[in-house]
Parts: sequence; structure tokens; C-alpha cells
Amino acid sequence: MIFLAKLGVGVMGTALLGAAALSSEGFIHVKVHEKKVGGTRVNLIVPAALVPATLEFVPNYQLARASEQLRPYLPVIDAAIPGIEACPDGVLVEVIDEDDHVLVKKDGGALVVDVNDPDNVVHVSVPLRAAQSSIHEIAKANGFD
Amino acid sequence: MKTTRKGFTALVLFTALLLATFAFAATTTRYIHVRVSSPGTHELVRVNLPLTLAEQVIPAINHGQLRDGKVRIGHLDANNVNVRAILEALKAAPEGEFVSVQDVGNDVRVAKEHGMMVVHATDKQSKQNVDVTIPWDVAQALISETSQNQLNVEAAVRALENVGDMNLVNVTGQDQTVRVWVDSRSSGE
Repeated sequence: MIFLAKLGVGVMGTALLGAAALSSEGFIHVKVHEKKVGGTRVNLIVPAALVPATLEFVPNYQLARASEQLRPYLPVIDAAIPGIEACPDGVLVEVIDEDDHVLVKKDGGALVVDVNDPDNVVHVSVPLRAAQSSIHEIAKANGFD
Repeated sequence: MKTTRKGFTALVLFTALLLATFAFAATTTRYIHVRVSSPGTHELVRVNLPLTLAEQVIPAINHGQLRDGKVRIGHLDANNVNVRAILEALKAAPEGEFVSVQDVGNDVRVAKEHGMMVVHATDKQSKQNVDVTIPWDVAQALISETSQNQLNVEAAVRALENVGDMNLVNVTGQDQTVRVWVDSRSSGE
């Protein structure tokens, strides 16, 4: 009985630690809602810590092109992400026209993009720290970091 | 003994208050805002950029004409007006002195007033008015540590951190208005 209790505590502890590690970098939230009748509704919440870890297992050749395109912008990304992280929450960019509304804002440690156009409502929230480590994972696909 | 403890508590409270004040003062973020609106098409673009962010990002951009926080412009001319030459001329000029440039299609007036560089330009053809007010420190920063045909954007942004809330640019045209200003409000309006 005592052994089972110890095992239970061990399993629970491991599960809790795993959950804490997974959620340590926040969550990526993607929500897409097609406005047409019967349109697609996607609501995806993924632990951000999973993304760089998953990218480790993607073959280099699959990321080569993305890596090549990212490389010139790495210094800017590395300067911008900590800069955005350090600044207070708020709207960074807003574009409104007759049909569309696009909003880019910083909310907590995440960069949030909201798009509302005649066809779709899209919401994407990406934790900044996870975005930076993911970008570096992609960039080093060609042996570059 | 009691008096000493009270004194100590008061000192701790005073220090905490002082630190909180410093922390608050240090965390006041300055923003540069850009607002472009086209009443005819109901289009509106708003950008609210913390100056600290711009300060960090601009030196990291080494692309095209922008390198090491400095922008290189072909001949640093705008509508046949040599911006750098005007800034250099104004540096030595006394307050209130105007540099006027009249062209077939444009009128440009530049003055140094109340520690600000004031530019007023009119494009007669498109009936567009441009009003630029730049604190003198920022104008000086723009041409600091630069060679010919360069403007030091990084230094100008750094200098903007120290100016009060103010309008920098107002452009009014037939179709569009543009406003650029700095303040401490994240929302812009």
C-alpha cells in the first residue's frame, strides 16, 4: 500500500513537473473562424516550449530554405524581441480600412496579431521568448546560430 | 530604544518611497506615434513604438541605406533642398533666422525658434502642407557623427527620449493626413 502511494506521488510529481516545464514558456494560441455559414473554426493551443523542442527533430534539409531566409534578419530579431518583451503592454500597430481591421499588440510576454476581415477572424498569440528560440532553431538548420 | 526603532522604520519607509519614485521615473516609456488617415477611404494606420525599442532595433538593422544606426541618402536632398546644408547653416544661425527656399512647385521655410527647428513646406501642385517641428537637440543629433549624405537616426531617437510631449510632423494633403508625435501614452490617442 505504501509502495503504491509512493509510486502515485512519483507519477504525480513527474506529471506536474512535466506540465510546469511545458507551460514555462507560455502557450501559442491560434484561432481561426471563417465567417461563412458552416465555415471552419480552429482553436489551437500549444505549449510554446514544444516548438523549439520539436524543431530539433525536423531534418535540416526541410528547414534549409527558411534558415537561409532568416539569417539576414537574426540580428534585428535578436534586438527586437527582448526590446518588445521589455516594453509595456499595448497596441503597436493598428490598421483599419473599410473591410479589414488588423491589430498587432504586446500582451504579457506574447505578441498578439488579430485580423478581422470580411471572410475570417484570426487571432494568433505567440510567446516572445519561444518565438526567439524557435527562430534560432530554424536558423541553425544549416549549422548557423 | 523605541525612538531608534521608529527612526529606523522611518528611514526604511523613506528609502522604499525613494526607490519606488526612481523606479517609476525610470520606467516611464516614451513612445513615438504615427497616425496616417485617409478620410476619403476610411483608412487609418496607427503605429505606437516605444522609443527604447526603436533605439535597440535601429542599430541592428544593416540593410539598404540604413547601417549602424545611420541612414545614407543619395544626395540628402528633399525636393531639391539639401537638408544637411540647412541644418549646418542653422547651427550657426541665431534664433528666429529663416532659411527660405522657393521653387516652382514648392515653398520651404526653415527657422530656429524657441530651441526648435521648424520647417514648413508647401507643395503647390498637390496642395500639401508639411509642418515639421524638431527639438534642436534632435536636429543636432541627426547630423552628429555623420559623414556627407548621412543622418544619424539612432542618435536622433536617443535625443527624442528627452523631449517633452510634442508634435513632430504634420502633413495635410487632399487625401491623407499624417501625424507623428512623441508622448508617454502607449495608446497614442
